[in-house]
Formats: sequence, C-alpha cells, structure tokens
Amino acid sequence: MENVLEIVDLKKKFKGFELNVKELNIPKGFATALIGENGAGKSTLLNILAGIRVDYKGHIRYFGKYEDGDRDKEEYRVRENIGYTGPGGVFLPHWTAKEVAEVSEILFEGFHRDRFEQLCSDLAISTTQDKSKKFSALSDGNKMKMVLAAAFARDTSLLIMDEPASPLDPLMRDKLCCMIREYLAEEEGERSVLFSTHNISDMENVTDYAIIMEHGKIVEQGFVEDLKEKYILVKGNAENAALARKVLYSITENKYGFEGICLADRLDELAGLNVEAETPTLFQISVAIMKQNTVIR
Amino acid sequence: MILLQNSGEPIYQQIATQLKEDILTGKLKQGEYLPSIRSLAKDLKISVITTMKAYELLQEEGLVSAAQGKGFYVNAQDSEMLKEQHLRKVEENLMNAIAAAKIAGISRKELEELFLTLLGME
Repeated sequence: MENVLEIVDLKKKFKGFELNVKELNIPKGFATALIGENGAGKSTLLNILAGIRVDYKGHIRYFGKYEDGDRDKEEYRVRENIGYTGPGGVFLPHWTAKEVAEVSEILFEGFHRDRFEQLCSDLAISTTQDKSKKFSALSDGNKMKMVLAAAFARDTSLLIMDEPASPLDPLMRDKLCCMIREYLAEEEGERSVLFSTHNISDMENVTDYAIIMEHGKIVEQGFVEDLKEKYILVKGNAENAALARKVLYSITENKYGFEGICLADRLDELAGLNVEAETPTLFQISVAIMKQNTVIR
Repeated sequence: MILLQNSGEPIYQQIATQLKEDILTGKLKQGEYLPSIRSLAKDLKISVITTMKAYELLQEEGLVSAAQGKGFYVNAQDSEMLKEQHLRKVEENLMNAIAAAKIAGISRKELEELFLTLLGME
C-alpha cells in the first residue's frame, strides 16, 4: 500500500491546545476522512499539510518523494499537485468568478478554464447574477462551490479539503461525493483525496479510510471495512444491560433496552445473552470512539 | 446489481455474490475484465474500499485474478474443477451434519429420512 502523505512527529502548540500526531500515513488512491468535533485539530492539521501553515515541528513527505524540508528547492513539485479547498479566505473578497478564473490560470499550470466554467454550471453557480457577484457577497454555499470548482478545474494528484460538505445543501453534498469518486476514478489509483468533516454521515459512502481526532491527537484510524469488523453494534433488552455494560466499549441505555459498540474480540463475552449484532455505520463508530475520548460537560 | 443497505449482509459481500453468479452463469466471460474498482465505486455510489474488498473476496475464491496495472479479470471456470470444488463443499457440509446428528443422538434412520425429505423439498 503506497502512501500519498507520510507524517512523523507533527506538533503545533497553541495556548490551551496542542496538535500532536506521532505517525500518520494517508493511503494513496483513496478518499480519506478526517473526523472530529470542532476544535479537535482538523483544520490545523490540514492547514499544515496544505502548506498554508508552516510554523510547526515534525516531518511530512509528499507523494513518497518530496520532504517538506526541501520546500524552497527548485525540484519541489508539490504545490502544483495539490488542490486545497477550505471554508475561509481562499479567494480575495472582491473577486468575481472571472477574477477567480484569471488568477487561477496565472498561478497554476494545470488550470482548465473551460472545466471551471463547466463545474460552475454543474454546481449551479452559473447564473449571471452569481457570476458577477463579488466573492464576499456570495452565500456560504456558493462560496464553497466556487472554491470547489476552482480546485477540481486543476490537474492535481491530491485534494485537501477542509469541511467541504458543511456549507452545502443535501443535493450538492451528493454531487460533491460524485465529484470525488470521478476524481479518483480518472487516474486509477494515482489520485487521493483527504477531507475533514464534523459530520461523517454526509460523506460516509465515499469514505475509504477514516481518521478520528480528539484534542489534537489521533485516537483511531483504519480502512472503513476493517473498522466495521473491529467494532460491532450490539443491541439487547434491559435485563442484560448490567452485564453488557461490563463488556461493551460504549453503551446507551433506556428502560427498554440498550445499544452499544463491542470490540470484535470481546464479542464472545456476550455469548449466551439474547443480543443482536449488526455492522455499525462509520458514524456510530466515530461517536463511540469520541465519547470514550472526550468529557461531555 | 441490487444492493440492500439494511439487509445485514455487508455491501462488499453482496457485490461479490452477485458478480460470482454472473461469472458462474457465464454472463461474465473467461478473460473478461471487471470494471475498475474506482469506476464501479463511482457507478454504485459507494467507497472504493468496498469494491476493492468485493474483488478481493472473488480473488480468494479463485473466480478472478489480478493483473498488475490492468485490473481484475475472470478466471477460466473449468467446469470439472468447479464441480470438484463444490463436491468437496457438499462433502464437508454432510460431514458436519453427521457429526451434529451424532452429538444430538439422532439415529441413522432419522438422519436418512430427514435428508430425503429435504431433497424432496427442493
């Protein structure tokens, strides 16, 4: 399995918060989701990986060959190959779609203006009204769509996207997932996508690899199919709750019964009890893991 | 291909089962390449890792092989070899039934009757 990003001992300290990633590998050719609550450190991590934030400690290797320490060298072909989208200040506030296209053409070799126009149309921001509007005057949803159009209009090998689904309506979220799948399908295995989300349900059916973050640390990661075998969803009646509580990784109870996540290798301990086992969704797994690692005040 | 979200059977399993049927019935021919894992994921609107796992399952069962850089293609379904494979499976399952009957104290006659009844039900 090749990696598109290899991260070692990444640290960034803020007042009251520290990002601390000992080791992280993002697999090449897949869509990876960075899952975590607001404040978990997702944006900080993505800003560092996208080259937006450079004041950090640690090492990053891109595409298996470029070390972040060589950032200023001639041979550092990283920026051209990465597309970044984010919720804040990607474009200057007074730009219209025309300026976005013009500047992108200047900044990036692999920017295709016709593809940008087509994407604007596909994403429904092609009405003359919206196209002549200043970027700052667009709605949050349209801002993100414009940023997405500009990123997908370039020839890249890696897309780093910070909360791409958050400002979008359900129809557009679906469209975004299709765009990601198409992006990955085009260069079979050579392209990768890394996106963050605080609401994994939206992006669950496009996610191949999941990374769960809490308080600046990675608390779980793995291919989705593997995680769905490691964590089992278990449901039972109230009379078995007391015993289940001791075995389950996480549990929610009410007067009718209980439901919780059980680690696959502890499933035997529930043998004999009248319980039902199901495959959990990535959402359910994430919630269970985050609950274990956080204190709800 | 029909995939059910809530059937309890993992999606990759459903894909593998349906593709297996296509292969065994000859709908997918020997040497024919399956769609790439990413284009299948795109068409079915699921994750790449799911289609990949489905194909790996088929590979484990000897139904497809992977060609470096080209994808997965259907193996020659030698009907003799296939029959042999399935014969082995039938034998294994019958051995399990006989062992279970022994533990439960079911007599040979009862077992024979049960088998004939079930055969008649097909």
